[in-house]
Amino acid sequence: MDVVAELLAAALRIATPLLFAALGGILSERAGVFAVGLEGMMLAGAFAGVIATHALGHAGLGLIASVVGGGLLSAVVAVVAVRYCADQMVTGLAVNILALGLTSFLLRGLFGRGEAPIIRVTPLTSISIPVLADIPVVGPLLFRQPALTYAGLALVVMLFVAFQRTQAGLTLRAVGENPTAAFASGANPIRVRFLAVIGAGALAGVGGAVLSLQQVGTFTDGMTNGRGYLALAAVIVGRWSPVGALVGCLLFGSADALQLRIQGLRLPISSYVIQMLPYVVSLAVLAGLGRGARLPAAIGTPFFREPR
Amino acid sequence: MRPVLAVALALAMTALLIAAAGKNPLLAYAALGRGALGSWDRIGVGLNKATPYVLTGIGVALCFRARVINIGGEGQIALGGLAATWIALTFPQAPPVVLPLLALTAGALAGTGWAALAAAIRLHRGVHEVLGTLLLNFVGVLIVSEALQGALGEPGAGFPQSPLLPRASWLPRVLSGSDLHAGILIALIVVVAAHALLWRTPFGFRMRVLGASVPAAVYAGISPPGVLLGVMSLAGALAGLAGAIEVLGVHYRLIDGFSHGFGFNAVAIALLGALNPITVLPAGLFFGFLETGALAMQRAVGVPTPLVAVIQGLTMIFILSAMGLSARRSKV
Repeated sequence: MDVVAELLAAALRIATPLLFAALGGILSERAGVFAVGLEGMMLAGAFAGVIATHALGHAGLGLIASVVGGGLLSAVVAVVAVRYCADQMVTGLAVNILALGLTSFLLRGLFGRGEAPIIRVTPLTSISIPVLADIPVVGPLLFRQPALTYAGLALVVMLFVAFQRTQAGLTLRAVGENPTAAFASGANPIRVRFLAVIGAGALAGVGGAVLSLQQVGTFTDGMTNGRGYLALAAVIVGRWSPVGALVGCLLFGSADALQLRIQGLRLPISSYVIQMLPYVVSLAVLAGLGRGARLPAAIGTPFFREPR
Repeated sequence: MRPVLAVALALAMTALLIAAAGKNPLLAYAALGRGALGSWDRIGVGLNKATPYVLTGIGVALCFRARVINIGGEGQIALGGLAATWIALTFPQAPPVVLPLLALTAGALAGTGWAALAAAIRLHRGVHEVLGTLLLNFVGVLIVSEALQGALGEPGAGFPQSPLLPRASWLPRVLSGSDLHAGILIALIVVVAAHALLWRTPFGFRMRVLGASVPAAVYAGISPPGVLLGVMSLAGALAGLAGAIEVLGVHYRLIDGFSHGFGFNAVAIALLGALNPITVLPAGLFFGFLETGALAMQRAVGVPTPLVAVIQGLTMIFILSAMGLSARRSKV
């Protein structure tokens, strides 16, 4: 029983950074903009969070810096892909390359005099919810988590409600399905997409902060290592719904947790084969779901006003 | 003119970054230029560096032409290198000319297989090739690590790498006294062949029609899945070939992680080369020289090499903006 609880706790821990990025991805894709840039936005957030926490000495300010870092990078996507109507996927790839280069360069150039410095910050601590945390098995698992994990789970509910029950959510979905119709009914598709993409960057930035501030306590080159793409896979697996994305992230988190667990068992299987598990699982799940996926209808299609 | 302008803008913006890091941008770029083109020896190293970029970039550019986004270069290169290594180590007695040819072919075939797998997953299971090729990159790189851990690894090397390949399998040097190997000649042949394929063959025509308009292509009886499979396989073959050339021409052994970063570079190069095989050549050369120059710049002036990725990313962003704007203008 303890093994299962530990495994679930590890799965939730691994899933949390993915979850923030995936929720951002939903925001962007539901508004009609492919979210291939999540990887770079996470990296920018992870970097900004560590640097600001180190410089200002406060994790809260670091978290804000993560939001700004991810948001700034996504603003590039917003300008290039939304305003200038460039290919959304390739724009996403471009900012991923840019973020990798920029964070590695700034780490060395501004803070390390040419060498990559190791900047340590104290990781965010867990918050125990009184009484509930004392429930056997489930208690420590669900109610003794760092603050951002709770925030991620709350955000799932908030986004779900926002999409279903608010005017803003409805407008965002309308822009993703048929921007021309949304425009005719008074919405401004370009502004909606701008805000959605920047919101996606801010959330992915928090995802990066979860990784660097809450889990590792430092920044290393390319530390997101494909997590942004896994988050994107979780968005698709979860059929562009917040709850579905949560399930997808937990699935990938479980695969990764299992992978780490199996490596610890010293089985006669090579560790490299076991490391393939998360990637093979996500491919298999994506492939298993097959063609049922219905993307937001206008995703990938730029919107621009016809000149009068 | 557009790519030149994009590169100039990117270099100007990164100059600001260099200045922010407290270095003199002009000195840094001068060191970069000297490191890239300062001697025949340096030029040879740059051309070697550019060879896999040109090959993989052409593959990605052809994919783009047919609206396929292939970011699987890294995995395809990894498996191409693996297959070439396996051939070279398994048949060390083969005659000198036959062995490299055999190993190069094996590399191309392995790359084809890996890319075709992503294409098949796309066609049969509806997984977009961006995710398919990306996830297969991780798997492909881990397969190389696994092989180096086991059958192909050099015992007691202290680093995951294969034993030195038999001399008969090495690609010949083109210029005596420099490191320049025959790979660049292969790349030049591929440039011409890809140009002919794109502009002079029925398959190239199908790719271009599909790229211009899917409904028009379908109306003309062109099968989009067939083109997707064909162009992905072709790109995989070129990337696999690039991996084999890296192993047989530069390292003379398989080294863990040797394919790192190639896949994304290829996308940047394809864009910079305006998705045209002939112009991908200078784009690939530019990035090759940029990388060798950046290493020299880091040694001489202390400006860190990740600057190259910044230049690449910015160049892509400027080119994409210009492409998007002109496409929008032509639609209105």
